[in-house]
Amino acid sequence: MRHSWILAMLLLVVVWPTSIFAQQAYRGEDTLWQDTVWDGEVLIDGILTVAPGVTLEIRPGTVVRFTPMDSNGDGIGEHEMFIQGRLLALGTQDAPIRFTSTAADPRPGSWGAINMMLAEDEENVLTHCIIEHAYRGFHAHFSRARVSDSYFRRNMRGFQFQESEVVIERCLLEDNLNGLQFRNSQVRLVDSTVKGSYWGVRCVYSELDMQGCRIEGNLINGVNLRDSTLTASGNLIAANRRGLYLQRSRGSVTGNLVRGNSEHGIFLEESEAEISGNRIVDNGRAGVRWLNAQGRVAGNHIEGNGLYAISNEGTTPAPAPGNWWGSADPAVWAVLLRDGRLNPETGLVEAVDPLEQAPGLDLPDF
Amino acid sequence: MRPFFCLLLLALALSFGGCAQPSRTLTDAAPAAADLDSLPRVAGILSADLVLEGALVLADDLLVPAGVTLVLRPGTRVYVVPSESTKIEPEWLSSATELLVRGTLRSEGTAEQPVVFEPLSSSAGTVYAWAGLLLDGATDSLIRHTRIQNAEQGVLCINSSPEIRDSRILSCRYGITAQQQSSPTLVGNLLQGGEAGVFCWNESHPLIQDNHIVGHNEEGLFIDRGSRPRLLGNRITGNGIGLALYDPGLAGAADQVRGNRQDLRLLGLPGGRP
Repeated sequence: MRHSWILAMLLLVVVWPTSIFAQQAYRGEDTLWQDTVWDGEVLIDGILTVAPGVTLEIRPGTVVRFTPMDSNGDGIGEHEMFIQGRLLALGTQDAPIRFTSTAADPRPGSWGAINMMLAEDEENVLTHCIIEHAYRGFHAHFSRARVSDSYFRRNMRGFQFQESEVVIERCLLEDNLNGLQFRNSQVRLVDSTVKGSYWGVRCVYSELDMQGCRIEGNLINGVNLRDSTLTASGNLIAANRRGLYLQRSRGSVTGNLVRGNSEHGIFLEESEAEISGNRIVDNGRAGVRWLNAQGRVAGNHIEGNGLYAISNEGTTPAPAPGNWWGSADPAVWAVLLRDGRLNPETGLVEAVDPLEQAPGLDLPDF
Repeated sequence: MRPFFCLLLLALALSFGGCAQPSRTLTDAAPAAADLDSLPRVAGILSADLVLEGALVLADDLLVPAGVTLVLRPGTRVYVVPSESTKIEPEWLSSATELLVRGTLRSEGTAEQPVVFEPLSSSAGTVYAWAGLLLDGATDSLIRHTRIQNAEQGVLCINSSPEIRDSRILSCRYGITAQQQSSPTLVGNLLQGGEAGVFCWNESHPLIQDNHIVGHNEEGLFIDRGSRPRLLGNRITGNGIGLALYDPGLAGAADQVRGNRQDLRLLGLPGGRP
């Protein structure tokens, strides 16, 4: 009996080199050197590294708490995680995983980040997670990750990454100072909501595929791309200061509802874009602002914007065939289209073949 | 990043020690490089109250956090170094150089000795070379006899209600923006040049009195559906559109609007005309 028990333990050690019963508190600078599973309550009172080649799996219902430490007084917590191996944070709808602060009155930046560095070989996975009060909820360099069904709230930045491939599905980013910012990355943002930030989605030198998202109530820009490429369809972009702002970028923007943004619904600055089949309504200044842009604005429903339907403020023409302007009266169009007819130094809005009624657009039911 | 912040904070401490320093007075002419090198430089995050006077350089973003006060004494001249990068770091409100106030700003110029914010020339050649004074949840703030020029936004108020008085906001893309329940007091200012003068967005209700809003390419004053400013004795002239608003009830201020390409534009109507 005793021999068989020892044999069983030896077998367990040989075939299962994973620390299931991981310690529940990590203090100072610590490293996981072997595959580890967390379950229950975990305290990080320092900086924890997951070594290259090591997988950290976090089970449903686990709560990971970070103690506050701000040694240089910059308002940013320093206790955090560095994933150099692989993270599998696999919560469920009924038992999400929570990353939070131990502070009695936590604020954005109470702890550092979930950092993923040089994790390109195997995809990091976070599903059904709640990440709150961090400096950067999700932070990656040279990594691949898939984040789904998760809630990012009251972080200084919900997501920040560069040189990474990231898929974000069915997530809610709410009341982060910035929702999602990245550079030199490829991103799929699907069926997610970004609201209550200063900058909702902000990127440079990146490719963004955004489908079925709600970008609402962000105080500076809803979506801003600079020197990047955008594919956007089936999104709601509403009640931001600016809705969609492309700078030196390329874009295909089809089948979106762009509504009630304080400034411009869509602002194209030195960008090339196909803007088609969208409903662009009730924005404060212009439905579309066109500044030295290329491409066309075709087959849209553009109505009820404050100052102009389209304002061409650059020197290039703005082809705008087949749109509905909210009226069949050419005298109304003359007021709603601001272009070289008003200021000879600017290009024309080429509003040919206007629709006689609102088009039946295939938009999601927001 | 962290060592960088530490260096900045250290530089602040060494440069000012939390109190005013006597310094030179420069003329309106742009300073020579050697003069700039000799000036105190500020950037980073203020960890304690700070009083500034004389000439200095805003070398990068400066954050005044909640609970901290920045005072600019009469005659303070701030030379702003434009951001030449395409940064999205740090995450504050602009990619351009900004003075972001979440605590208190007291810019205490006088008629004889205004406070001046002036950008240094940018290699990018942009007219709007820096972000401006960005107040986000700021409290008890005052901007008096202050000249702000060539900023993306002269003063941005997000949930902030400063007193902005007797100041000159020149050639800024947007002069003053009040958004997210901001009710600043705007009295006796000159807003001139740039794209637009004053915006009132998202339930902002400023007092706008005795200002001269002149020479903007687009709107002199824009008021959205949810905002109700009080308009008294302003002169809104020489703008593309003098007054753009949704609420016809505010059109009674039309006597303050003269000599614009279009004086009054009622929004939300087909054609936008009253």
